[in-house]
Amino acid sequence: MRNFYPRAGAGWTALIGSLWYGFWLVAAVAGCRLVADPANLGLVKSALPGAMLIIFLYWQVVPLLMAATGASLDLRKLQCYPIPPSQLFAIEVVLRVTAGVEMILILCGVALGIALNPALAAGDALAVTPYILFNLLLAVGLRDLLMRLLAHKRIREAVFFLLIMAAAVPRFLIAREPSAASQLARFFTSDSWIGWPWGAAASLALGLHVWNAAGILAGWTLAAAVFSRWQFAQTLSFDRESAQAGDGGAKPRQGMLESFYRIPSTLFPDPMAVLIEKEIRFLVRSPRFRLVFLMGFTFGVVTLLPISLGRGGGVFLGTNYLTLVSVYALLLLSEVCFWNSFGFDRSAAQIYFLAPLPFWRVLVAKNISALFFIALEIGAVTTVCALLGMPLGLVRLSEAFAVAGVVTIFLLCAGNLMSIHQARGVNPSTQFRSNAAGRVQAMLFIIYPVAFFPAALAYLARWAFDQELAFFAVLAFDAVAGIVLYRIALDSAVQAAERLKETMIAALSAADGPITS
Amino acid sequence: MSEASPAIQVQNLRKIYGDKAAVDGLTFTVPRGCFFGFLGPNGAGKTTTIKMLMGLAPPTSGSIQLLGLPMPDRALDIKQLIGLVPDESLLFDHLTGGEFIEFVGRIYGLDRSVARERALELMELFELEGNQRKLIAEYSKGMRKRVAMAAALIHRPQLYLMDEPFEGVDAVGARLMKEILLEQVRHGATIFLTSHVLEVVERLCDRVAIINEGKLVQEGSMAELRGASDTLEDAFVRAVGVGRGTETLDWL
Repeated sequence: MRNFYPRAGAGWTALIGSLWYGFWLVAAVAGCRLVADPANLGLVKSALPGAMLIIFLYWQVVPLLMAATGASLDLRKLQCYPIPPSQLFAIEVVLRVTAGVEMILILCGVALGIALNPALAAGDALAVTPYILFNLLLAVGLRDLLMRLLAHKRIREAVFFLLIMAAAVPRFLIAREPSAASQLARFFTSDSWIGWPWGAAASLALGLHVWNAAGILAGWTLAAAVFSRWQFAQTLSFDRESAQAGDGGAKPRQGMLESFYRIPSTLFPDPMAVLIEKEIRFLVRSPRFRLVFLMGFTFGVVTLLPISLGRGGGVFLGTNYLTLVSVYALLLLSEVCFWNSFGFDRSAAQIYFLAPLPFWRVLVAKNISALFFIALEIGAVTTVCALLGMPLGLVRLSEAFAVAGVVTIFLLCAGNLMSIHQARGVNPSTQFRSNAAGRVQAMLFIIYPVAFFPAALAYLARWAFDQELAFFAVLAFDAVAGIVLYRIALDSAVQAAERLKETMIAALSAADGPITS
Repeated sequence: MSEASPAIQVQNLRKIYGDKAAVDGLTFTVPRGCFFGFLGPNGAGKTTTIKMLMGLAPPTSGSIQLLGLPMPDRALDIKQLIGLVPDESLLFDHLTGGEFIEFVGRIYGLDRSVARERALELMELFELEGNQRKLIAEYSKGMRKRVAMAAALIHRPQLYLMDEPFEGVDAVGARLMKEILLEQVRHGATIFLTSHVLEVVERLCDRVAIINEGKLVQEGSMAELRGASDTLEDAFVRAVGVGRGTETLDWL
């Protein structure tokens, strides 16, 4: 636990955790009250299968899409000890709780509501227990399978692309075929087939077809146990080094890529040029960064594009598609580009304190590299939009880049300070974070609204005055204010770095423990 | 910067962590052109001292002068003149060895083409030319140490601060690195190194200081330190004292 929740930044972790899990606790209490009221029985009966499916999807899919699968055992460090594999497996199953705490809270709320509802048998509440076990076991198997697939350099990006495409399939279907929507909706209503684990869990919880539902759920849980045990055994004998050896996936190449790396040298003098160049080389070769970059690009395109082209997207999504995808890409990139910009450097970050250069240059170089990748990401999204024939006028293009630029300035202000005060070593070779997806989402919901506020003012001005000029004037003002704030935050970060460099280097140098990603 | 000033001058240096003194009133001088060994048992304060010399940890009290310049007041000037091999990895895993050495050269103000040329030459000198396209993440520990030392050399510093530079290096690599370091001393550079391998220190160093529990317990030339003892190891054990002795646990 000390490894998973390091003391550095404990206050911040506690604040974010309290807000995030507090929100889910409130949701669980609301769910409990809803289910406990006999007057809502009809609603509960029709909605519970859908709720169980949403819980299933959140638990199994969201950690993969957020690239944060929670804590896990590092078996390479534990295999040398005489610990029976069955015990390691049991610990791994328990650790999967870290990826689904929110859903356990909700299920507990539902269970308590069933127990309190006089129209339902109190014992039916126990139905959530096998459903939790089923999800925990399945999560172990899926995580192990995915980790092994992603360890292969040549196929990891392809695997992730397929995953994203799979996530987008329902949206494509709805956009293409109106009847698909009603067919998909059946999964979320009382029409849902009892043979599905969520259908069986809902039936069992409502006291309907009890023996059938119990048998089906037990069968699914057993299948998940066999699958996860099999995947765990595969992971135990998996040779990561061998999987990563012998291909040239991340090997430095000459030619065009080398010219790409040298771009900063044509724009800046040393040492700024070499600092940016290093950052670009390093990030391009980091599997973790490549994954996030790919996600920012593809996930936004494949999930939002069908909505904007099809039904239900509305005028807003259609006209602001490029800006929305750009901002979404920015959010994903910010995790590696802003919040912990020394994380990938780990102990090597001490070179910035040993070398004869002022520390502000290092921060600015990292910020410029971040801007470079953000521009590249938005440029790629724009190109795809143009290829797909999306309406891309000069105003929309300017809007996307201007909004993303303004938000970036404010994110950089906070990011530079957090990179010093909350520095934490991150393995650039791992694709997934060891922290729970919930913490990442909490960051999105709590921190980002503040960073987006100045851009929101611009939209407010556009709405109030019904003029593009007002919109861009407010954005211009935001940019100036942001730059002033950036200078202040940069000075503060540099002073903090000088003061905290020992703590910072120690935090960045801390080796992974037996529980990691 | 005075040429007559010693390479390192440390006066009453202290570093307190909580209520424990990691370094407690250290005073010593390292003359220019000297190969200086800084020894001590585990936890004696060697790494803390070298971190203070490098500017990574501010001293609680006392003063440090490197090449006649006060640290940290003239930190940027000092950093330009010294080469560093810290104990922890200083290398960026997702760069190649050559790219990292070139990066360091350019950080220290070398022109890009010069840095690139020297990086290639250093890769050859340290027998790493066969690994030009390999990322540092794929290097062995010994190869990483060679890259770290090559990077420390690229700007031809006047003073080297090295924390356990031979740790994890094989015999061939260690010999190569020793020859290169001796060559640097012959050309007038000063080397300050810590090592647990006393045979290496005995073979290379002109002067040695031994610290224990943050305090200097002995300092002098190799001959002075050895005194009547046969080896540096005997002198070292005598200076820091023998702890548990040779008794073993009953159950072991």
